[in-house]
Amino acid sequence: MQGVKIAQIPDLEIDPITLDIIEGALKNARHEMDAVLFRTAMSPVIREQHDEFPMITDPLGRMVVGQFGSYISEMMAAYPDTIEPGDVILTNDPYKCGGAISHVNDWLILVPIFFQDELVGWASMFGHMMDMGGPLPGSLPTGAKTIHGEAMMIPPVKIFRRGEPVDDVIAMILNNVRMPEMNRADMMGIVAGCRTAEKRVIEICDRFGKDTYLAACQALLDRTLTAMRKLILQNIPEEPQSFEDWVDDDGLGHGPYKMKLTIWREGDHAYFDWSGTDPQAVGPINFYLNEGMFKMFIGVYLIMVFDPQILFNDGFYPLLHVIIPDGSLLHPKYPAALGCRTHALTRLFDVLGGALARKSPEHTTAAGYGTSPYMLYSGFDREGDFFYLMEISYGGIPGRPIGDGMDGHSWWPLFENIPTEYLESYYPVRIDGYTTIRDSGGAGLHRGGNGIEKRYVYLEPGEVSIHDDRWLTYPWGILGGTPGRRSEKLLKRADGTEQRLPSKCDEVAVSPGDMLVYRTAGGGGWKDPLERPIEKVEADVAKGLVSTQKAADEYGVIVGDGEATVARREALRTARGTARDFDTGPDIEDILARCEEETGLPAPVRQKPLAWAKMETPEEAMRRVREQDARTS
Amino acid sequence: MAYRLGVDVGGTFTDLMLVHDESGQIFRVKTPSTPADPSEGVLSGVRRILEESGVAPGDLSYVMHGTTVATNAVLEGKGARVGLITTRGFEQILHLARSQTPGPLAGWMIMIKPDPPAALEDTRPAHERMDARGNVVEALDDEQVGRVVEDLVASGVETLTVSLINSYANPAHERRIKALIAERYPGFPVTISSDVLPEFREYERTLTACMNSYVRPKVAGYVKNLENALGDLGLSCAVNILRSDAGLMSLETTQEKPVYGILSGPSGGVAGALAVASRAGFDDILTFDMGGTSTDVALCQNAQPTITRETELGHFRVKVPSVNVHSVGAGGGSIAHVPELTKALRVGPQSAGAVPGPACYSKGGTEPAVTDANVVVGHLPPSLIGGEMTLDTAAAETAVRTVGDALGLEVHQAAQGILDIVNENMAGALRLVSVQRGYDPRDFALVAFGGAGPLHANAVAKLMGSFPVLVPPGPGLLCAEGDLVADFREEFARTFIRTAGSATSEEVVSTLRELGEEANDWLEREGIAADRRSITWSVDMRYYRQGYEIPVTVTLEDLEAHGISLLVERFNSLHEQFYGYAMPAECEMVNLRAIGIGKVPHPRVQEAQEAGGPDPAAAATAQHQVYADGTWLPSTIYDRAKLRAGHRIPGPAIIAEYDSTTVVLAGHHAVIDRFLNILIYPDEA
Repeated sequence: MQGVKIAQIPDLEIDPITLDIIEGALKNARHEMDAVLFRTAMSPVIREQHDEFPMITDPLGRMVVGQFGSYISEMMAAYPDTIEPGDVILTNDPYKCGGAISHVNDWLILVPIFFQDELVGWASMFGHMMDMGGPLPGSLPTGAKTIHGEAMMIPPVKIFRRGEPVDDVIAMILNNVRMPEMNRADMMGIVAGCRTAEKRVIEICDRFGKDTYLAACQALLDRTLTAMRKLILQNIPEEPQSFEDWVDDDGLGHGPYKMKLTIWREGDHAYFDWSGTDPQAVGPINFYLNEGMFKMFIGVYLIMVFDPQILFNDGFYPLLHVIIPDGSLLHPKYPAALGCRTHALTRLFDVLGGALARKSPEHTTAAGYGTSPYMLYSGFDREGDFFYLMEISYGGIPGRPIGDGMDGHSWWPLFENIPTEYLESYYPVRIDGYTTIRDSGGAGLHRGGNGIEKRYVYLEPGEVSIHDDRWLTYPWGILGGTPGRRSEKLLKRADGTEQRLPSKCDEVAVSPGDMLVYRTAGGGGWKDPLERPIEKVEADVAKGLVSTQKAADEYGVIVGDGEATVARREALRTARGTARDFDTGPDIEDILARCEEETGLPAPVRQKPLAWAKMETPEEAMRRVREQDARTS
Repeated sequence: MAYRLGVDVGGTFTDLMLVHDESGQIFRVKTPSTPADPSEGVLSGVRRILEESGVAPGDLSYVMHGTTVATNAVLEGKGARVGLITTRGFEQILHLARSQTPGPLAGWMIMIKPDPPAALEDTRPAHERMDARGNVVEALDDEQVGRVVEDLVASGVETLTVSLINSYANPAHERRIKALIAERYPGFPVTISSDVLPEFREYERTLTACMNSYVRPKVAGYVKNLENALGDLGLSCAVNILRSDAGLMSLETTQEKPVYGILSGPSGGVAGALAVASRAGFDDILTFDMGGTSTDVALCQNAQPTITRETELGHFRVKVPSVNVHSVGAGGGSIAHVPELTKALRVGPQSAGAVPGPACYSKGGTEPAVTDANVVVGHLPPSLIGGEMTLDTAAAETAVRTVGDALGLEVHQAAQGILDIVNENMAGALRLVSVQRGYDPRDFALVAFGGAGPLHANAVAKLMGSFPVLVPPGPGLLCAEGDLVADFREEFARTFIRTAGSATSEEVVSTLRELGEEANDWLEREGIAADRRSITWSVDMRYYRQGYEIPVTVTLEDLEAHGISLLVERFNSLHEQFYGYAMPAECEMVNLRAIGIGKVPHPRVQEAQEAGGPDPAAAATAQHQVYADGTWLPSTIYDRAKLRAGHRIPGPAIIAEYDSTTVVLAGHHAVIDRFLNILIYPDEA
């Protein structure tokens, strides 16, 4: 990035009221970005399911408000061209933005914000495109072995120059996707969202003066830093705490993959070390974890409880140190395939929650359905028109300190299901049923939520893809809570035959009348199910969410019989002994040994590390991070 | 002699306004509301206003009534036990809802999921299926459904809802089930979703239909009691209820579709504000209704409120046409605090409520409320004209000082800070209904009402550039006025999902015409004379596969003359206005709609006499000081009752009246118009 006058951040004392007003204005601008995109986007993934992320940064590219992390300074340092007012930059290449986006479906748009002739910040937003071209509709082939097997990669390029669309570039990109009109609409929606933020920031500069605005941004970053310093001292122990969990398989028969996190504190700095995590996978389940993004995830977990009105930003990043060995599942080397990173992304939260739980188990939850389950269906209808549906499903929310986990809800905020009537209006599919699965939530004082069963009846010949996880390992329960049930997929052919499908597969040919029974995992339970009030267990039975069998076996409740319940609970308590801190189900080796028998699918086999992607040792990774810290501080 | 009576039941007061059709003579009465049985408050108010005015009950020609019976049933969770019949396989439709958890990340950890209006154990399947085009995939099993109905009624449900997949495309199965229920249980209240909301998206339709069932017995009971009691008083005229979209419906419709009146309260305020503003010559307004715990804002253009088709009530998004009122949880009672962690100044969402109330009320409150900040800076003088209570300035200062100390600010600066933040929040809400929808707030006047609206309106208008500020006389009585000026209104819609290229204008016109006939039949049934009926048409449009529609208004003549391209053209320009761009993409129609309006004659209002000069000295009651920008400015307190048309009041000034206080800031002035409205303008630079 050359020839750009970047505004200096003045060293200016700012009165607290003005600061809070600017904070409010920035928050509003961020919500407005979402609102504009939702109302204009075409793909149901953005519009109905809200798979998109906005942010506004200061001139140095630090996020002042938003939902993802700093990457702009890094990315723009390498950008060869100049930046002018009205420019819009697009990229979908995770390797060119430090993993700010983590698969090629995400289109990241950057709009520079100029006040007079100076760069005062950036508005940025990314959204999940239904399709990005490549060998399979949806651009998330479960069999991809490199990112080049997924779809076209766009390096950071201008799609608008000084306010004018760069038609050649846009045409080139849209020529490579299956539904160019949809990508165009979603792209324009994202640009419109960013432009809204640009307008608002300029208004704030007009009203308060540029210097006041920039000083306010700095003060807001500082405020979060101060807040986080206190939270680290309160919540992170000096003694290292570790937790590990698994991603089941990579779609190519390898697995499971371990993810391990160790947390400790040094003074008011916290360390999050992923050493011990398995090397990168052959298949596309690698998650290129942006360090800033991960810091934000940590911050959200810590901060929200104490001042939920805080403007979430980058300010506290210098206090957190993230160690991710190069060549690992969470920091794969180019050109590792990344399309299906959602499983590792979700497991990351299970592991983070588990590691933090060791210090304050009362404040953390069990594990949930553990991924973002997808169903993709495409083909050509009898008129010869291409159709392609992608739907994200949900499952059991884990038992929580505040209460039961919700049945069949989304763990990611604001995502929504697609209405059946929408699906049936636009796609050759009929939904035979959409419900939660009785007994699939783990038992607990606060029970885990039930997983979802959705039955798709296909009306045209086509191909189906499935992306899911937790078919092998269990969503764990905590402090006596039991695990949730695992996911499964059943294809019931119109001819009466039945077939188990793996949790990750592509190009499954379907014919009219075939029905896919798509079941997602339940959530783990929180605390001792034998302490759950009897009337709550009975109410769940009356609602059909828990069976009388499970009520008796895991809650010790004999419906309608108080005396028998007392005896039953006593017997169960004695048989069980002390409740386990974490109940992850059987040992991993047992699970693998019984895999075929229990799931009807062959057990995955452990993968050898890739010769071309040697993983850093824990020591090397730690040294790299320490050196980096020394340079920047 | 014909009189019209508007009755609005609010949380605290029931307001009544009686107008004589020809002379425009007005009587007003305010009585305490009686939440346990709101009709008691209404009756005592009606008795009183008839007594005070000397009008005979038989001389009333219309009664218009805004009620919160439905709203409260939902907010307090005190509706009926609802049985729900859904398509087999979708029994958990309300339990799953849209699967959404709130933001930010990890918001699910603290989410509290509300109980749906129909419980899972009271939901039963019907064996049947329609496809999206309305073709029968599986015929309805009468016998199975009959068993389900008997089972539900025997289990004790008080009302039934039938909501089947794709019933918007073909309601035959829902209607059949309704008939089956009527055969077995004549008179049993049944709501079918295709009657209440014949639009696609099954969750929202089912929820809305269940909400209708949920509030139905309560509303029906209330309405019947009221009708009987008014009859006993000797009233013989029709009573009509204000809908959420500021239209009227008859008592009969109210008993069938009470969900349409679920936001009757706020819509009355907007309708009232609009009537007052329009009379004063302002057809484009932002309404600003600031109360103790919340503030409602709305945008009206060309003397029409903007209507939305989805509204939030408690935890639920209910799809009924409503005045697009945006509500923020901040008002005069909102408490300011400084979280230890961030040292930021936050106002709300906690509220001092009525008890203990702000510190200055001397009822035991110690935390600083917005009202206290107003006292500290002198916007609320310690003793108000006609007010029964004096405000405790010292207590207010002590409370606000806690915030000042935490921030390192002197008490008056801290008070000013609290007001700045709350005004900014209000401006944020107004921006949401204006700027974010493509409207320039500088083209709008700001109409302030509610207990705290006139206190903050000048400051908020300054942030928005929305002048003049209009404060009507008796800013607390606007809702009753809104009831009085409301017209009959009902929408008739049909989902019609077709791309612009694949439908002919003949099809669209003929469907719209049918809907118009339905609207006309309805107006006929409501007893509206033919010359008072009007029908407008609109088509909800979007780019192919977008998820949100923009209503495009059109006349049948224009559509016949110019074809569907006219709709496309109008849609593109609206999209450009709202979102800043239009696309060369294909457009599609989603819903066709006819809106039937039955005009009600509006009351003529008497004009006030001119004062004969701009000098308001005769209305001045005291000299006073207000704090602004670090200094104290001398200001005058005026008695609103003594202000006359033509008076001009220089700011800073405080204008006090029985139920409200208006602040005129320095650099601004107020003039009194011929309807005794206060109009605040910035001074010329």
